[in-house]
Amino acid sequence: MATLQINGQTMDIGEIDPSTPLLWVLRDELGLLGTKYGCGIAQCGACTVHLNGAPVRSCQIPVGNLSNEQITTIEGLAADGGALTPLQQAWIEHDVPQCGYCQAGQLMSATALLRNNPNPSDAEIDAAMSGNICRCATYTRIKRAIKSAADNMNGTAFYNAAEQGGQV
Amino acid sequence: MNFKHTDTINMAELPAFFQDILGKQDSGAIRAPELNRRQFFKLSGVTGGGLILGGFGVTGSRKAFAQQADSDTSTLSAYVQIKTDGRINIFSKNPECGQGIKTGLPLIIAEELDCAWEDVDVLQADIDATKYGVQFAGGSLSTPMNWMAMRQAGATARAMILAAASQQLGIAVTELSTADTKVIHVASGREWAYADFAELAATMEVPAVETLTLKNESDFKLLGRRWTGVDNEAIVTGKPLFGADTVLPNMVYATYTKCPQIGGVPVSFNEDHIKSMPGVVDAFIIEQFDNPKMFGTGNGAIFAGVAVVATSTWAAIKAKRELEVNWDLSNAETVSWDDLAARAYAASDQDGEELMINQRGGGQVSAGKGDAVAALGSAAKVVKAFYEYPYVSHAQLEPETTTALFQDGKIEIWAPAQIPQGAEGGAAVLLGLTPENSILHQTRIGGGFGRKLAADYVWEAAAIARRMEGRPVKLQWTREDDMMHDYYRPGGFHSYTAGLDQAGNLVAWQDHFFSHTGNGTGPMTSADLNPSVFPMDVTPNVRLMQTLFDNAIPTGPMRAPSSNAFAFSFQSFMHELALASGKDHVEFMLNTLGEPRLTNPENPGSMHTGRAAGVIRTVAERAGWGREMPQGRALGLSFYFCHSGYVAQIADVEVSSNKNVRVHKVWAVADFGLIHNLSAAENQLEGGIIDGLSQLFYSKITFNNGVIQQQNFHQYPLLRMPQTPELDTWFMPPAEFPPTGGGEPSMPPLLAAVTNAIYSATGERIRKMPLSESGYTLV
Repeated sequence: MATLQINGQTMDIGEIDPSTPLLWVLRDELGLLGTKYGCGIAQCGACTVHLNGAPVRSCQIPVGNLSNEQITTIEGLAADGGALTPLQQAWIEHDVPQCGYCQAGQLMSATALLRNNPNPSDAEIDAAMSGNICRCATYTRIKRAIKSAADNMNGTAFYNAAEQGGQV
Repeated sequence: MNFKHTDTINMAELPAFFQDILGKQDSGAIRAPELNRRQFFKLSGVTGGGLILGGFGVTGSRKAFAQQADSDTSTLSAYVQIKTDGRINIFSKNPECGQGIKTGLPLIIAEELDCAWEDVDVLQADIDATKYGVQFAGGSLSTPMNWMAMRQAGATARAMILAAASQQLGIAVTELSTADTKVIHVASGREWAYADFAELAATMEVPAVETLTLKNESDFKLLGRRWTGVDNEAIVTGKPLFGADTVLPNMVYATYTKCPQIGGVPVSFNEDHIKSMPGVVDAFIIEQFDNPKMFGTGNGAIFAGVAVVATSTWAAIKAKRELEVNWDLSNAETVSWDDLAARAYAASDQDGEELMINQRGGGQVSAGKGDAVAALGSAAKVVKAFYEYPYVSHAQLEPETTTALFQDGKIEIWAPAQIPQGAEGGAAVLLGLTPENSILHQTRIGGGFGRKLAADYVWEAAAIARRMEGRPVKLQWTREDDMMHDYYRPGGFHSYTAGLDQAGNLVAWQDHFFSHTGNGTGPMTSADLNPSVFPMDVTPNVRLMQTLFDNAIPTGPMRAPSSNAFAFSFQSFMHELALASGKDHVEFMLNTLGEPRLTNPENPGSMHTGRAAGVIRTVAERAGWGREMPQGRALGLSFYFCHSGYVAQIADVEVSSNKNVRVHKVWAVADFGLIHNLSAAENQLEGGIIDGLSQLFYSKITFNNGVIQQQNFHQYPLLRMPQTPELDTWFMPPAEFPPTGGGEPSMPPLLAAVTNAIYSATGERIRKMPLSESGYTLV
């Protein structure tokens, strides 16, 4: 019987067709529904998870190729007690999601970026996030949220809600 | 001007399918639904000391008790429950597809309920017309149609709490006030939680709407500020919310394969092989129902196809890939886009049929006005241009999906539907059930953009579930299914001729519009020309002609239907006319708009030229219109009015010698009346701009012998973060104008703002979308 290391736990996946993409194992077998199907050909990034900390497209990884890799999904970002990461908090503060369908993938890409590069430039953010499509086009807010989360992790100011607030 | 908060909706502007949904064929203005005492009835007999107040319509809700919560909950209305721990449940009636309505409508209720937003939990309402009236996400109508009713729902609950407090405390209502989920005795300063009176409040008589006191807008505490979406925490932690996140015991997974050539019908398939594949539970042909080539919202129409049912999504997809189907192509489409384009080019100098419109009481009348032929003959200058734009796919990121269970003669559905009541009713039609035997549960929608106004995927799931009686079935479309079987935004061609007088005023407008018909008579959905659109509405002499190609490639509404294409050609051509007139573009636009007035005095939903001029002037100020720009770089202006919203945009665009285009910044100014949630409104405006940029540069669906040529994002790219410009958005002060929706009017102006800037930067006029076809690359 096969197992996977997901979000710090050993999970049983039973007897399964080894060609099954990790995406569908997460969704159909393990009930981890936060990872989304968008295109099936690694074009949209909605299915992004971490494999040993690196962002990968789970629609392209046959489960038979996996053994002891540490897999992290959107469900595994927040601490066990439910405390959100600075990026998740920033996503809420900046009201990033519109429909929200791509945002799990966006957060996984952004989390991997900040782990390796705590102070990314605009160009570095663009490069790291260019594999993730947001059809609602929340890109400006995603970038703002990444920057404010990076600032927050450095102990500096977090969010200025003033802008146009309260005027209308 | 005497605009008040009348909540008037311009029905004439709505596509016919929305008029159908709303049960109105009236071409005049109607009032948005309001609660009144007769409609605001009690559905009694509920446990837990509560009661439910129906919002609209008739008695006898079949789902009256579905939302009845635990015994610690007092239900004040279909919209408001108060729990003993002080939490407030507010139900949001319309589907959420990213437009922010699940947050927006409850904010309005909470404002008039006078409760603190942090005390509120928002829940998705049941789909039930008897309690909520029409429920749909489309036409940017959720806000204007519901704004007054939501205020009344909040004020009603507040009045019942005050009445209960008065009775319980023995203090006159006039001595009591409310704030932040508390009842306050003004004289003594004592205060109590709403929850203290909730149980009694639920037994109070429902006050008449005429007796309700609504807040002055200057007293609003919640509306007009920034609020993050109520589902955001669930989204960022990956909680199940969306259509495909539905999981039921003993569920099986299905794919559905239709003919690549639109309208082909399966005769047979390699059934033995498919059924022998691991995990496959069943495989079968489903017959076509009704005419699915034509967009419908409640008819249950589906294309024929082959269903594969399996124990996992992957097993169903694997089997789908090995399907070998023998198709009957006798009723399939054979049309090709290149042929249509060639026919349009060849006829661009010819006249078409005069465009007629159906005028209530007057029969078919010309859509034109004045005498455009004479005006063009005597014009000081005549300008001609031919514009074209392609078919476009919605490409919402969530592919179509629905879970359905047929059991005990009933179909139960879990779906991300933009018109859930139509989807629910259509399933009953398809399966031959009475309407009460079809029940739909609304999920969050992972992007709609109009695709999920159609419910073909819902009905396919229902048909498959009917065959799998007793077992829940989750139908998952692949991206290829989605892109090859859309209800597309139709492509079109416009041959324009316009006349300017000696002073450079626009005096005549002629448009020969090449479009499509699937039934030989009227145009396909979203393939029609509305003569009340700017600038035709302010031009004295208008002649409209059409040529309809026989072409039943399915079409439907996409974000800002018609406007998303017309705005490109209308507003590019307006720039051509401005240049021909010798006037500055802003000046030409303001001159064409003329004095502040409603363009149709009898229709309060028609364009108001003063508001249009307001957004144009303001965006020009914010962008520094007229300033010196570096070589190869220019500002471009565009304006559009649709869905009751006014938006002007200016793009700062740089073009390199090898046609690389950098859009540095886009300024957008919108007049949507009163803004409820500034963050959501900004999101719509920003999203619309980038959506427009993506379509302008990339989007093109083609068909060859009835087969769609694009299958996935590698052939149909969408804009990504590196190409995203800096954005500057601004909303006009609401003055006395009622709130309108922002999802759709935000997008159309972008198209010509960029192409007008490219012209000013390079001297090359672009009359064809997408720009990739003219050698331009967005960088």
